[in-house]
Amino acid sequence: MTDDRSRPVSHEGGDVHEWGPLVDDLAGRRERATGMGGDDLVERQHSLGKLTVRERLEMLVDPGTFVEFGMLADHMDAGMGDRYLAADGCITGVGDIDGRRVAIAAYDFTVMAGSMGAVGEDKVSRMRELALRQRIPMVWLLDSAGARISSQSGSTFAGMGALFREQVSMSGVVPMVAAMLGHCAAGTAYIPALADFVPMVKGTSSMALGGRHLVKAAVGEDVTEEEMGGSAVHTKISGVADLEVADDRECLAVVRRYLSFFPSNNTERPLGRPTEDPVTRRVEELYAIVPTAPRRAYDMRKVVTAIVDDGDVLWMKPDWAKNLVTALAHIGGQAVGIVANQPMVLGGALDVNAADKAARFVWLCDAFNIPLVFLHDVPGFVVGSAVEKQGIIRHGAKMLFAVSEATVPKISVVMRKSYGAGYFVMNGLAYEADYIVTWPTAEIAVMGPDGAVAIIHRRTLEAVPEEERAAKRLELAEEIRHNIDPYVAAGHAKVDDVIDPADTRAAIARGLRVSRDKQVERPWRKHGVLPV
Amino acid sequence: MAEVRAEIAANVWQVVAEEGQMVAEGDEIVILESMKMEIPVVTETPGVVREIHVKPEDVVQEGDLIAIIDES
Repeated sequence: MTDDRSRPVSHEGGDVHEWGPLVDDLAGRRERATGMGGDDLVERQHSLGKLTVRERLEMLVDPGTFVEFGMLADHMDAGMGDRYLAADGCITGVGDIDGRRVAIAAYDFTVMAGSMGAVGEDKVSRMRELALRQRIPMVWLLDSAGARISSQSGSTFAGMGALFREQVSMSGVVPMVAAMLGHCAAGTAYIPALADFVPMVKGTSSMALGGRHLVKAAVGEDVTEEEMGGSAVHTKISGVADLEVADDRECLAVVRRYLSFFPSNNTERPLGRPTEDPVTRRVEELYAIVPTAPRRAYDMRKVVTAIVDDGDVLWMKPDWAKNLVTALAHIGGQAVGIVANQPMVLGGALDVNAADKAARFVWLCDAFNIPLVFLHDVPGFVVGSAVEKQGIIRHGAKMLFAVSEATVPKISVVMRKSYGAGYFVMNGLAYEADYIVTWPTAEIAVMGPDGAVAIIHRRTLEAVPEEERAAKRLELAEEIRHNIDPYVAAGHAKVDDVIDPADTRAAIARGLRVSRDKQVERPWRKHGVLPV
Repeated sequence: MAEVRAEIAANVWQVVAEEGQMVAEGDEIVILESMKMEIPVVTETPGVVREIHVKPEDVVQEGDLIAIIDES
């Protein structure tokens, strides 16, 4: 605690306006707080390739806008003796990002490894409260070993944990970002799990339920933080994090960029971003990007980049479940969330992780009034015993649930394939699609011709001599293929239009314009029963 | 040494690379056919193709070994 500094007291009888020593004393205390964990530890932080918490804050918010709360905090724990912990290891306050306020909690690794102490956590709790009361986003800069473990705490743990419950109640009300800037364990690993967006710095950040030493003690595994919960694990394999970034600077820049797509809370609309890019721009590159040969793959990311404003896209979870692309962008100045199948990976078929990724992204955009654009090129959900064991039905149902629930404007472009439940979860007409158009190459049907032949004509085929069977199968498939035709869908007015691919951007913009004041009434319920 | 494995149950449609060939990250080794699509199987590791374990019309299951690459 801070009692090594005795407070100067004015005395009656002498100078009764003796402010100098008081003001100097205060300035000294503030200076000590801004020194964080001291020069040695600050130097060590830099030598690890990390910025200090105060450097990070400077980069995160607009210059001169940060209002700090609790700068003079300390641990206030008699058991820790004279030790001084600047700001109790966590800097909290409110700053502007592009002129809009955000509440911030930034853990300071130079102060007891950024561990979560009682006073520091009170400060963070105050930020959560403030963010909710003001309806502004909350940003965590995480560089913390987790809970501050002391030998005395024991079963006082019985009263802990409000932080996560409070965070859950913020979810979908205000945007939440958890930037991973160091090795985080347990407590500081659940914060990102409950946040909306989680960028991770490559090499210096990790998250795990148990840190290295605990893991060794509990399960005997010898593993580094990086191997267990580094950015490669969480952005490529587990899908817990959204984006791998090179360093602190890039991480803070992407936090600012991410928030630029979002309103401050769920009652507002996204601001949008003015652009010179004409909304009616014909995107003729698409002729070269997308093959008309239906079985041929191509890179859907090129399609997304070509149709959005200025080619500017923020990919979400780009390295995980790559058979589905999720991205934030603008079209005609309006923020949109894009969900697109990726024929390059698994032929664009949906598996458990792709369904998970899509559901989560749809919930995110819907919560914050960001319209959704679905680009269909999906042969369906992957079938077979392997995916059934992974619970594909459960995960597929989750995507179905999220897309059904979403009440934001929902635009669909069926580019090529859209088969079976794949068509439904990609926002088919029946899912309150506000505008659904197809390309001339669209194939919408319950299943592809080959699968249909195997089911409808199984007996017919069995009756044909074996040497003629292949030819018969092709003939029957051709018959079925004949009815899989966008003009059949358009003829029944089950899609709103068939468009020239080069007009895709303009068509999406039209869809957004006609659906901008969408209102949906649903029966009252506490909440649905989510298939997760 | 890096292994290239099938990510999905599929028929092998074409073998694109040859044993002994140099490949860069992202190069196609074989093309599978599954779910009405040609699914390129690419190497994430640059190097020399040491072994290819499949031939056209083989059936592979998710996780089956397709090729071994000697990392360069």
